[in-house]
Amino acid sequence: MNVIFGCVITVSITVLLFTAPEAALAAFLSGGNKALELSLKLVVIYCVWMGVFGVMEKTGLSAKFARLLKPVNKILFGNVPPLANDYMALNISANILGMSGATTPMGIKSVQELEKHPGTEYAIAMFFVINATSVQLIPSSVLALRTSMGSASPSDIILPTILATLLSSVIGILLVKIFIKKT
Amino acid sequence: MSVYIIPLLFLFIFIYAHFKKVKIYDSFTEGAKSAVPLAVSIFPYLAGMFVMTELFEASGLSEAISNFLAPAFGFMGIPKELTRLVLIKPFSGSGALAVLSDIFTEYGVDSYLSRCACVIYGSSETVFYIAAVYFAGAKTKNLFKPVVISLVASFASCVFACFICRIM
Repeated sequence: MNVIFGCVITVSITVLLFTAPEAALAAFLSGGNKALELSLKLVVIYCVWMGVFGVMEKTGLSAKFARLLKPVNKILFGNVPPLANDYMALNISANILGMSGATTPMGIKSVQELEKHPGTEYAIAMFFVINATSVQLIPSSVLALRTSMGSASPSDIILPTILATLLSSVIGILLVKIFIKKT
Repeated sequence: MSVYIIPLLFLFIFIYAHFKKVKIYDSFTEGAKSAVPLAVSIFPYLAGMFVMTELFEASGLSEAISNFLAPAFGFMGIPKELTRLVLIKPFSGSGALAVLSDIFTEYGVDSYLSRCACVIYGSSETVFYIAAVYFAGAKTKNLFKPVVISLVASFASCVFACFICRIM
């Protein structure tokens, strides 16, 4: 991350120095502004979802639910600590259902929980790749945009999208299995 | 159909909680409490990401790289009009959505290019955003391999997306 960030920033500023020096600081500030805007939105989204998750945890629903997904988790991640297993199960099902607001808080909690235990590097890598390659079944934001722009059949991209996203996840999972050692 | 999922899920959880005699209000606020520190803790990482994307765009670097890579992408079956989308997607979800809507207006929402763009958009996530946010407070900083793997897998699905939209 440090390398990528460093390279992009340095090269960009160098180019801007020659083309539009006044735009450099403006770009930094507008980046910060966008981050702030997004953070404000995220606070609200997280409040709602983490509130609902709070209720789910107290009722024992999330643990029950995670038990259902345990065999799948076991194949993908190997042995993971039980609490992390709960969070990961919620994260992955929220991913599949396209509840993007719910995936992030559960994702962060999963990583924090996994990190508390040694020997989870493989599980962390696999968890990241699965999240990054997306396993969403219904691409709701794309559907909404297509509908609003007057598409004749907004839903005809659903099947190709599912196939493509399945493929990316399968490739990702296989690559992790090949290149990252289980500890 | 999908509009019912979330309300039904919420309803089920709250009714279930009622039967279990869980203090719904208390547990809701208890959970929601951690939202603010969470958002605060990821803010610096978001700022870093956005500064990088903004500079990348403002300097014209993203356009230059798009133009540079377009022929190679074309060789693999990705139309040159979609190069920008493929490149911006790992960095910024909202940026990609903006590019997507540009493609819709320019080429018509039901054209091959637009459908292909939809599948590309839907098939992968914003890899760097997830890396930045999920690992905001984490000690694990060695994400090089997982990030590369995710990018390779996403790119493969882009190639596949362009192929499948030709036949479906």
